[in-house]
Amino acid sequence: MLKFILKRLAWMIPSLLAVSFLAFVLIQLPPGDFVTSYVATLAASNEIVDQNTARDLRERFGLDQPMFVQYVKWIWGIVTRGDFGISFEWQQPVSGLIWERMALTLILTVSTLIATWAIALPIGVYSAVRKYSIGDYLFTLLSFLGLAIPSFLLALVLMYVAAVHFGQDVGGLFSEEFQNAPWSWAKTVDLIHHLWIPVIILAVSGTASLIRVMRANMLDEIHKPYVVTARAKGLSEFRLLVKYPVRLALNPFISTIAWLLPNLVSGSIVVAIVLNLPTAAPLLLQSLMAQDMYLAGAFVLLICGLTLVGSLVSDILLALVDPRIRLE
Amino acid sequence: MQEDIMRRPGLVRRSILKGMAGMAALPLAGRAAFAQAGKAEAPELAKLAAEGKLPKLADRLPANPLVVEPFSKVGAYGGSLRRGLRGSSDHNGILRMVGNQGLVRWNLQFTEVRPNVAEKWDVNADATEFTFYLRKGMKWSDGKPFTADDILFSINDCVLNTDLYKSAPSQLSIGGAPAVVTKVDDTTVKFTFKQPYALFLEQLATPLGQHPTLFPKHYGMQFVPKYNPNVADLVKAANVSGWPDLFRAKMGDIEIPSRWGNPDKPTLDPWVVTEPYVGGATRVVMKRNPYFWQVDTAGNQLPYIDQLTFGISQDVESLMLDVVSGKIDIQDRHVNSLPNKPTLAKNREKGGYRLLELEPSGAQQCQIYLNMTHKDPAMRAMFANKEFRKALSLGIDRKEIIELVYLGQSEPYQAGPRPSHPWYHEKLARQNTQLDKAQANAILDKIGYDKKGGDGFRLRPDGQKVFFAIDVIPTLYPDLVDTLELVKRHWAAIGVDVKVNTIERTLYYTRGDANDHDAAVWPGPGGLDPMFDPRDFFAQHPQGSRYAIPWTLWYVSNGKDGQEPPESQKKRMKLFDDARATADLAKRGAIMKQIFDICADEFETIGVCLAVNTFGVVKNNLQNVPPKTPDSWSWPNPGPAMPQQFFFT
Repeated sequence: MLKFILKRLAWMIPSLLAVSFLAFVLIQLPPGDFVTSYVATLAASNEIVDQNTARDLRERFGLDQPMFVQYVKWIWGIVTRGDFGISFEWQQPVSGLIWERMALTLILTVSTLIATWAIALPIGVYSAVRKYSIGDYLFTLLSFLGLAIPSFLLALVLMYVAAVHFGQDVGGLFSEEFQNAPWSWAKTVDLIHHLWIPVIILAVSGTASLIRVMRANMLDEIHKPYVVTARAKGLSEFRLLVKYPVRLALNPFISTIAWLLPNLVSGSIVVAIVLNLPTAAPLLLQSLMAQDMYLAGAFVLLICGLTLVGSLVSDILLALVDPRIRLE
Repeated sequence: MQEDIMRRPGLVRRSILKGMAGMAALPLAGRAAFAQAGKAEAPELAKLAAEGKLPKLADRLPANPLVVEPFSKVGAYGGSLRRGLRGSSDHNGILRMVGNQGLVRWNLQFTEVRPNVAEKWDVNADATEFTFYLRKGMKWSDGKPFTADDILFSINDCVLNTDLYKSAPSQLSIGGAPAVVTKVDDTTVKFTFKQPYALFLEQLATPLGQHPTLFPKHYGMQFVPKYNPNVADLVKAANVSGWPDLFRAKMGDIEIPSRWGNPDKPTLDPWVVTEPYVGGATRVVMKRNPYFWQVDTAGNQLPYIDQLTFGISQDVESLMLDVVSGKIDIQDRHVNSLPNKPTLAKNREKGGYRLLELEPSGAQQCQIYLNMTHKDPAMRAMFANKEFRKALSLGIDRKEIIELVYLGQSEPYQAGPRPSHPWYHEKLARQNTQLDKAQANAILDKIGYDKKGGDGFRLRPDGQKVFFAIDVIPTLYPDLVDTLELVKRHWAAIGVDVKVNTIERTLYYTRGDANDHDAAVWPGPGGLDPMFDPRDFFAQHPQGSRYAIPWTLWYVSNGKDGQEPPESQKKRMKLFDDARATADLAKRGAIMKQIFDICADEFETIGVCLAVNTFGVVKNNLQNVPPKTPDSWSWPNPGPAMPQQFFFT
């Protein structure tokens, strides 16, 4: 097991390098560069950048150099000094920009994950055990509705209703007074107060598909001979379900942990923008649009890194949960 | 005063005369109030001063503070003003509110340059020497004196330092040479130019002219190797690659976000950043500057409002929601699109706000630029033919476009100063704006596009279809897409086929930079500020004069790059250089008229209709906000309307 983990960890280094290079190339593929997009953004408000300034900017950011040179400089900084470069747009070191955002993203992601599972798993089990009952149909209907409503729309509607009918502000993750405050217990409580709205919005769409997956897996399991045997031996119905079929039916959930993070970062972009959440998604989108390559590249690199770690974790968990899986 | 805003005499006339006379343009009321200056201050500051935590008001104000006449009445202290920013790159949303504290400033009408940081100035007869007199005892927001040395530091050590700025900003140079700045005494500074630069004062009043008052010497010195040999330690500690990066991060520049990212940097603005605009911020907060150097006519120190709060929305719709639900006190940026107007007008009562009227400084809502320097010779010949352009212009049904797209709020227009401007040029503005399909068809037949293909469109003499693509950015100007769709239909009726090429904005720019476009649209500027943005009158703007960008490059590089333009362009370039150097406004107007005459004869751009007035919203309890102002980058509304004298009731 240990050998396996070490081997996997060693493989991550070339993977990350390859991914970082690809990301860098992709970010640069659209026409123009940061300065073009900076000029264009200001022009959108009829504001003018002095021509001399634009030319200087390009030179200063090294945008006149070949892409490969820019990439090597960037990656060399990361490997040797942990320096992710300077965000063109903010004139700030990238590392200072991403960590808090990534932390909030993780909090949101994990909360959403827990909420999604907490709703989907019991319902999935129930729907499987009481197949074609009224409850099964009802949950199926609701879950399909949840799947069908785009989450940004749900967010907009919630915001509109809250703002217009209740005079409440549902955007953001913190109240006004905590937005720039240092972390404290009060701020944490405030975060929890605000967190449930985006969590519900994001969980609604994820729940539906999970219910279906869980239901199908359970249906596969509950008619297998070992279940019949256990029931014949007089095990109570609840203990029987939880102890064997549910555990095995969880297999696909665990093996997809690795994808959850990138999915929730990219899948929540629109919701995060609509709800004004200070997570990684809006900053990533903006940095991509502005072609702020070092910032965007750092995000992509981090997300890829987390995906790799996630897949390692899910492999280890699978081995622990499912006795049928062997690492050899 | 409101009447005055409607009238808009020449941009520059009185300012130059004033400057020549060396007059301080203090209104009489202001002089009378002089004795009382520094009479009152905000309660919180009074408390601090009483406790000895802050010098007394008289010691904080300069000997002769700028006396601002409130728009309608003397206000009261207090309140927090809320405004919205959109995501990142919206730093100019802050600049427009607070950052217009240059040596001089615009008056409300955008017609005249008034004293600001400088209390008065002298200009020599040929407009090559400008002497500015600063206010004695004026202070930065941290209480340190503001003197001539700060201006010298800003210009000589920063702006003209080639490590920081590879080339001097255009506003501070003419004829390829930057200003020479010298200190006369502690409160007197002289700017000398190689060539006459009559527009210098106006340029100083625009946002891009703020460099002289941007960098405090006592704070900025530590980031410049000349004054701090140990700057490398700071660079290392900040984890940046060199001192220029450090300087920019700490000191900012006129229009980059880091200008609002360092709460430690002293400024001359009415409010100072306390919660900075940095990556990942969800709001920006600014608190009053206790050393602000302006008072109202009753002698009360400005600003009236304690604090500004800029919420950062990632999404325009949520900004709209904030406006409608009354959570924004003043806003025009981002929400003032035509489609939003009905929603905002309908919700006035609910949101407790009123609408402001903004007159654009632009001339043209939709200027069509055919690329007369196209890389393909056949296309070039087609676009360069004036008769062809005339036929296209005659083929547009402008009435229909104005009715359908601009809700009837405009009139057919080509180019040139707006009708309210004294330099208004009838022929330039109105020629070929009537719909005349018969004449358009006759012209096209005559110039050799008389054969038609199977699909009914005309053919060029080489057998190709008369067809071209017009680049437009749908996310930026959705109305231009609608306009172009109608134009496409109108032109199809005279046998010309076009493609409305909706593209992303950076692609739009790179296609222009590389001269790869057939044609493009953009709102045409120069309506209220023909001297600042003459890109539609001759090839002048390397990214904006999209009918001939290579000619522009030739002009700005003094003939080194680009393509040599035809004689008529060269003549206008020469004339414009003369106009820029002519202090006498009547003479300057005469020179500009020659440019307009030639431009009207050449008919290079095709316009659709006059740029439409936009609007802003302001809460009912916010007072002293002019109901109508220009809407411009050179007059960065609402800044020149002086938000420091806005107040809440």
